[in-house]
Amino acid sequence: MFYFILPFFMLSCCFHGITKYSWSYFQAKACSSASIARLKTVNRRTVDVLASRLYFYYSLCYELTGDLAEIRGNLLALHRIATLRRDELGQFCRYLFYLGKIRTIQLEYTDAKESLLQAARKAPQAALGFRVQCNKWAIIVRLLLGEIPERTVFMQKGMEKALRPYFELTNAVRIGDLELFRNVAEKFSSTFGSDRTNNLIVRLRHNVIRTGLRNISISYSRISLTDVAKKLRLDSPNPVADAESIVSKAIRDGAIDATLDHANGWMVSKETGDIYSTNEPQIAFNSRIAFCLNMHNEAVRALRFPPNSHKEKESAEKRRERQQQEQELAQHIAEEDDDDF
Amino acid sequence: MDPKITEVSQTFERFKAAFVRNDFDTCTRLLSQLKVLLTAFTSLPPLFQETSNAIHELTIARDIYEHAIVLSVKMEDQDAFERDFFQLKPYYTDARGRLPASPQEYPILGLNLLRLLVQNRIAEFHTELELLSQSALDNPCIKHAVELEQSFMEGAYHRVLSARQTVPDATYAYFMDLLAKTVRDEIAGCSEKAYDRLSTSDARQILLFSSDKELLQYVEKEHPEWEIKDGFIIFQKVKDSVPCKEIPSLQLITQTLSYARELERIV
Repeated sequence: MFYFILPFFMLSCCFHGITKYSWSYFQAKACSSASIARLKTVNRRTVDVLASRLYFYYSLCYELTGDLAEIRGNLLALHRIATLRRDELGQFCRYLFYLGKIRTIQLEYTDAKESLLQAARKAPQAALGFRVQCNKWAIIVRLLLGEIPERTVFMQKGMEKALRPYFELTNAVRIGDLELFRNVAEKFSSTFGSDRTNNLIVRLRHNVIRTGLRNISISYSRISLTDVAKKLRLDSPNPVADAESIVSKAIRDGAIDATLDHANGWMVSKETGDIYSTNEPQIAFNSRIAFCLNMHNEAVRALRFPPNSHKEKESAEKRRERQQQEQELAQHIAEEDDDDF
Repeated sequence: MDPKITEVSQTFERFKAAFVRNDFDTCTRLLSQLKVLLTAFTSLPPLFQETSNAIHELTIARDIYEHAIVLSVKMEDQDAFERDFFQLKPYYTDARGRLPASPQEYPILGLNLLRLLVQNRIAEFHTELELLSQSALDNPCIKHAVELEQSFMEGAYHRVLSARQTVPDATYAYFMDLLAKTVRDEIAGCSEKAYDRLSTSDARQILLFSSDKELLQYVEKEHPEWEIKDGFIIFQKVKDSVPCKEIPSLQLITQTLSYARELERIV
C-alpha cells in the first residue's frame, strides 16, 4: 500500500510547488503516468479513493499542458473500468458543468442554463474557482437567451473581481451599444480567451444588435434606414442595405413589430397594441400557477419521514401501512397529473 | 520498401493523374481500391500501431483522404464529403503530434464548416469551431466561414453574398453557390413579413435576380401566395394576436376547476 502514497505525494508536491514552469508539468505528467500504470496492476477496493485522486491529477496535468488528446483513449478505458466496478467518484457536479458547456456550444441554451446553474449550486463552498467558472458560463448563456442577469450575480462574495469583465459585457448588451460591446470584447479579450468564451462572445454581437434595434423601434414611430445604420454603428461597406436586411430578419423573428417601406427607405414601427385585450395575460398567468402547483406536488412526492421521528416506535406493520398510504398519495397525484395534461 | 506501400503509392499516382484530368469515373474506382488497400495498414486509425513505416503510411493516407474530399466537392457529392471528412479527422487530431502539419488542413476544415452552414447544421458547426485553436481561427480559410455564419445569423445577407468574390480557395465556390440559394429563400421569407408591398424592380434587386422573368418564375414556383398587380408584389399578411372578442369559456372552466382541486389538496 505504501508505494502508492509516495507517487501521490510527489505529484501533489509538483502541483503545489512552482506549477508555472513547464519542467514541473513535465515531471507531474511523468509521475502521474507512472502511478496510473502501477495502479492498473492492482484491483483492490481499498485503493479506489486514492485512485480517484490520481486520475484527477493525471487528467489535470495533461489538461494544463493542453495534451488532453494524448490520453483520451486511456481516460475512456479507465472510465469503462470505473463504471464496471461502480466506483463512486463524486463527479456529478463536474459532469453538470461540462454538460452545460457542451449544450451551450450546441445552442441548446435553455438546457445549458439549467445544468450550469445546478452545477454552481451543487458545488462545495470551498471550490471557489469552479463556482466562478460556472457563473461565467451561466451569465453568457443567460445573455444569449436574451435575459439580463441581476446585479447580485456579479456581487457574490469573492467573485466580484473575476466577474468584472462579464459585468461590463452584460452592460453593453443591456444598452445595445455595438461600439461599447466591441470595446469591452477587445479590452478583456485575453480573459475571454483564457476562459475559452471568445466564440460565445462573438455570438452575442447578434443580441446586441437586436437590443439596439428594439430600443430604436420603441423610441421612433418612423425612422430612415440610414439613421438606423448610424445608430447601430454597423461598420460595413454597405450599411443601409445591411440595416434593411437586419431589420427585416428581426421583424420575421418577431423581435420588433414594424414594417419596412423600401421606396422611401424607412422603417415604420407599429403601435404597440393593448396586450390586455388579448388572451396573452391569461395564458401567462396560467403557466405561472401551473408551475407553482407543480412545484408543490413535486415537494409532496419527495417528502420522506424517518421512522424513528415519531414519539412512539411504530411497529413494522404500521410502518408498512403508512408507506403504502404515502405511495398511494403519490400515485394519486401522478394519475391526476396525467389527466390534466 | 514495403510492397504494400509501393502498391498504394503507385495507385495513388494514377489517381492523381486522373484527378488532374477530371476523369471522375477512374478517380472513384481508384479511390475505392485505395481505401481497401489502406485497411491493411495497422498504423492507421483506430489502431495507431507503432510500426516502422508508421509515419510514411499515415502521411500517405492523410494525403489520399484530402484528395478524396476535394474530389467529392468536384463531384458535388455532400454525403461522400461527410464520410471522407470523418475518416480524415483523426489524422488532424489524434495524429497531430506525430505528423508534420498538412498545408491542406485549414482549407479543408474551412470547407467542412461551410458545408455545415449550407446544410443548416449550426450546432455541429459550433462544435467543430470549438475544437480549433486560436491560430486556426486566425487562418483566412476558417475566418471566412466564421464571418459568413455571423453575417447569416445577423441577417446581413449582402455581406454573405459579397463573400462569394473573396473565397480563399476555388473549391469553396460549390458551397457558396448553394449558400446563395439558401440566402435567397431567407430573404424571401423575411421580405414577406417585413414589407406590405414591393415594386417588381425593387424585389428583383432585393432577391438578387438579374431579370424580371427569373423573378416571376421564382415567385410562381416558391411563393404562389404572393400577388402581383400593377408592377407591385403584394404580400399577404397573416394577422396574429387579434383582440379577443369571445371568452374561451370551456378552457377557463377546466382551468379554474383544476386550480380548485389542487388548492383543496394543499389546504
